[in-house]
Amino acid sequence: MLLPKFEYHEPTTLEEALRLLSELGGNAKVLAGGTDVLVRMKQKIDKPSHVISIARVPGLDAITPRDRHGVTVGSGVTAADLARHELIRDRFTPLALAAGRLGAPMIRNRATIGGNLVNARPAADFPPACMVLNAILKLKSAHDEREVPVNGFFRGPGDALIEPHELLVSINFETPPPWSGGSYVKLGARKTLEISMVNVAALVTLESADGPITAARIALGAVAPTPVRAYAAEELLVGKQPSEELFQQAGETGVGMCSPITDHRGTMEYRCMMIEVLTKRALRLAVEQARAWRP
Amino acid sequence: MKRIITLTVNGEPVEGAVEPNRTLLSFLREDLGLTGAKHGCGLGDCGACTVILDGKPVNSCLVLAVQADGREVLTIEGLADNGKLHPIQEAFIETGAIQCGFCSPGMILSAKALLDESPKPTETEIRTAISGNLCRCTGYQKIVEAILAAAGTAQGKEVS
Ligand SMILES: Cc1cc2nc3c(=O)[nH]c(=O)nc-3n(C[C@H](O)[C@H](O)[C@H](O)COP(=O)(O)OP(=O)(O)OC[C@H]3O[C@@H](n4cnc5c(N)ncnc54)[C@H](O)[C@@H]3O)c2cc1C
Ligand code: FES
Ligand code: FES
Repeated sequence: MLLPKFEYHEPTTLEEALRLLSELGGNAKVLAGGTDVLVRMKQKIDKPSHVISIARVPGLDAITPRDRHGVTVGSGVTAADLARHELIRDRFTPLALAAGRLGAPMIRNRATIGGNLVNARPAADFPPACMVLNAILKLKSAHDEREVPVNGFFRGPGDALIEPHELLVSINFETPPPWSGGSYVKLGARKTLEISMVNVAALVTLESADGPITAARIALGAVAPTPVRAYAAEELLVGKQPSEELFQQAGETGVGMCSPITDHRGTMEYRCMMIEVLTKRALRLAVEQARAWRP
Repeated sequence: MKRIITLTVNGEPVEGAVEPNRTLLSFLREDLGLTGAKHGCGLGDCGACTVILDGKPVNSCLVLAVQADGREVLTIEGLADNGKLHPIQEAFIETGAIQCGFCSPGMILSAKALLDESPKPTETEIRTAISGNLCRCTGYQKIVEAILAAAGTAQGKEVS
């Protein structure tokens, strides 16, 4: 399977990368891990005349904690690095779990969080995790810089709020408050190398180890043209004592927010059932982790 | 336009001139004659093209040759030590984990990357490590056994 011809650029500074993007813009594709863009080029879906590799731009592959307040993840950080990073696993659990479920080990060693978000596939693993963590994306162009909340970044399948001359530089996460816990559950037909049939991320904050829920976020993937936050289900949880019945109600409410499709991976009816089950499971796991919270 | 790349392949410095649209897999197979890495799906699904790039297993069909410039590549050809097979290779032969052999280079390199990182893996860790390597012949059980056996040998050596 051959790749079409293109001109290759390998900037070694961010400025150079941004300058190339502003000059070549619509004719160029950014190459991060390549696990999407090279596949699309081999399948002749994408035929860019220029490819700009960002692998040698320094700093994009860094995970940088900001005191105790949060963490900045470079757009070029791989799924493998996120999955095994201790701080990410401890405090930003949905992100680490989603990273560990993406593709197979070889894919995880190349696939970047930036490529996954910009790709904007409805079933992708990183979007729901980033959405419950209220991630802020930093986009830069040669002359400008802006911050975009991930909740609002996705417009449709393969369509995100980023211009051809912009580079996603980093993703910012605030540390969830004390007594928070998170989870990520994914359903595919097999364990690995599988695009999700349904995926759910959850983040729950409790008042104390045995207290009521003070905040909840739920994001669902593969259930609509873009991943969605289940706001109604979140509201239902707040102020209440966690229980199986409550999680069940939240799951049922979550189903109402989805418009899943029928395809070879599963029917609409099956997906709706699974949204309910997985939402319940995700909430249970998030509450378990929140109860075990340690400073 | 061709680009000059220099990289280390199986411990040896290598130089090549490649078009940017060549994959690392095609560079290894066609320019260097290292045909151990196989061309299966070309899309990241089967793992037949697995090589170790800077210590990590990757699908070489989804890496451009130019992206490997300055980096270190290990292929199945570089695993034996002075003609003596690597313990994982031995274990694959002894356990009967090889039938047609098409998946074996990738399987063995995925196993090597795993054992380098965690010398005493559980069966689940082994199954996860090879989950991106498809085998159409063996049904995987013998492969898992071979990797477990190789881990045993490696540990035995560590202890003595
Ligand atoms: C076998 C296989 C299995 C897979 N399994 C999964 C899975 O289970 N879950 C899942 O979610 N995905 C999966 N994927 C898809 C893919 O691996 C992920 O989406 C991955 O995270 C993409 O990252 P990348 O670095 O490889 O992106 P690339 O392919 O390098 O880029 C993807 C897109 O984003 C753009 N881009 C990349 N970085 C930036 C940036 N910093 N700024 C602006 N634009 C940028 C590129 O131009 C391109 O359009 C799989 C792919 C394969 C081949
Ligand atoms: S040939 Fe590379 S994964 Fe199949
Ligand atoms: S031995 Fe034939 S594909 Fe694995």
